[in-house]
Amino acid sequence: MPRIDWQTALKGLAGFVVAVVIWVAASPLYDRAVAAGAEALLRAFESPKVTHLTATGEDVKVDRSDFDPRSPRPGLPVIDLTFNWVLLAALFAINPKPFSDRNMLRFVIASLLMYVTHILALATEVMSIYVLRLGAWSRVHYGAFARNFWGTANHSYRFVLMFAIAFGLWWALRPTPVEASRSKQKASRRRARS
Amino acid sequence: MYTVAFPMKHDQKVFLIKFFAALIAMYLLVAWNPVNDHVIVPATRGIAVAAGALLHAIGQNVIVSGTTIASSRFAVNINNGCNGIEAMLILLAAIGSFPATWRARLIGLGIGAVIVQFINEIRIISLYLIGAYRPSLFQIFHTAVWQVVVILAAIIFFLQWSARVAPNRLANGS
Repeated sequence: MPRIDWQTALKGLAGFVVAVVIWVAASPLYDRAVAAGAEALLRAFESPKVTHLTATGEDVKVDRSDFDPRSPRPGLPVIDLTFNWVLLAALFAINPKPFSDRNMLRFVIASLLMYVTHILALATEVMSIYVLRLGAWSRVHYGAFARNFWGTANHSYRFVLMFAIAFGLWWALRPTPVEASRSKQKASRRRARS
Repeated sequence: MYTVAFPMKHDQKVFLIKFFAALIAMYLLVAWNPVNDHVIVPATRGIAVAAGALLHAIGQNVIVSGTTIASSRFAVNINNGCNGIEAMLILLAAIGSFPATWRARLIGLGIGAVIVQFINEIRIISLYLIGAYRPSLFQIFHTAVWQVVVILAAIIFFLQWSARVAPNRLANGS
């Protein structure tokens, strides 16, 4: 990573602004995809399968078929769990040649991996609601270990892990100058052969 | 045809493992009630007092009570996630995991902490002003804009620092 000069800072700023616009526009649709993934994940471990997650455009409603139909359903603002994608986009924007095939492909791969973490984060958030926020129902169905585990998992994701995941994905997938020079060497070898 | 390879060097993998291990350990420490009550909450009160003083200086009639800055127009309560501690933990984990001398790490942490808290004060002041005068924009600025800006500032500072202390090693991936 070269030192951050003004040009790099401007690329990061532009990437950040564009990412915010895309994220705001795509969130209602993306929330549905995350809700579908988290619902499938939760139901895979449930017996009977009772959890339903419905994206409303503003939040994701948590419903269970064994809840009293008259009781209100909790809603989760999923954007609180997914905005680390903006950080990921801004970080990929500061890479050398941000629009190169290599950088764009890796950004797409990082975004897909981040989608998986968003599903896990929403499933964790739903579990933390089940274990902590449903009063007597939570106390009857879950013990102290479950409360601590899901509560800590949810809080740690929101507090630091969501940012660390963006940074870690970028760190692991960013094209390095070594790769750039290798691909240059390969290209010049190909040219020399032909 | 493009083939995908992730040629992370051994040093880079070690850095990532150390980074996540350090971050989780520090998170657990900070989330522990005695540390939260005796270190984080007083520090957050200090951040609120400083932001309140700056808001007074620009003509805002605010009252600071604990971690809350309030006026007749709007109130913000500074919680974990808005006090810059999360950015400082990420900076601490990154600098601590990077191969450098202790002196370089301490200097990096000191300067980085000042930068993060300076930007965080701007965040709190701007969020109060946005909440008071443009409340429709508060949610987007609170969630997406400022949180990312503060973390991005910490990461960019780390990249600058790491390029300075190890110009041809891990930071370059070479």
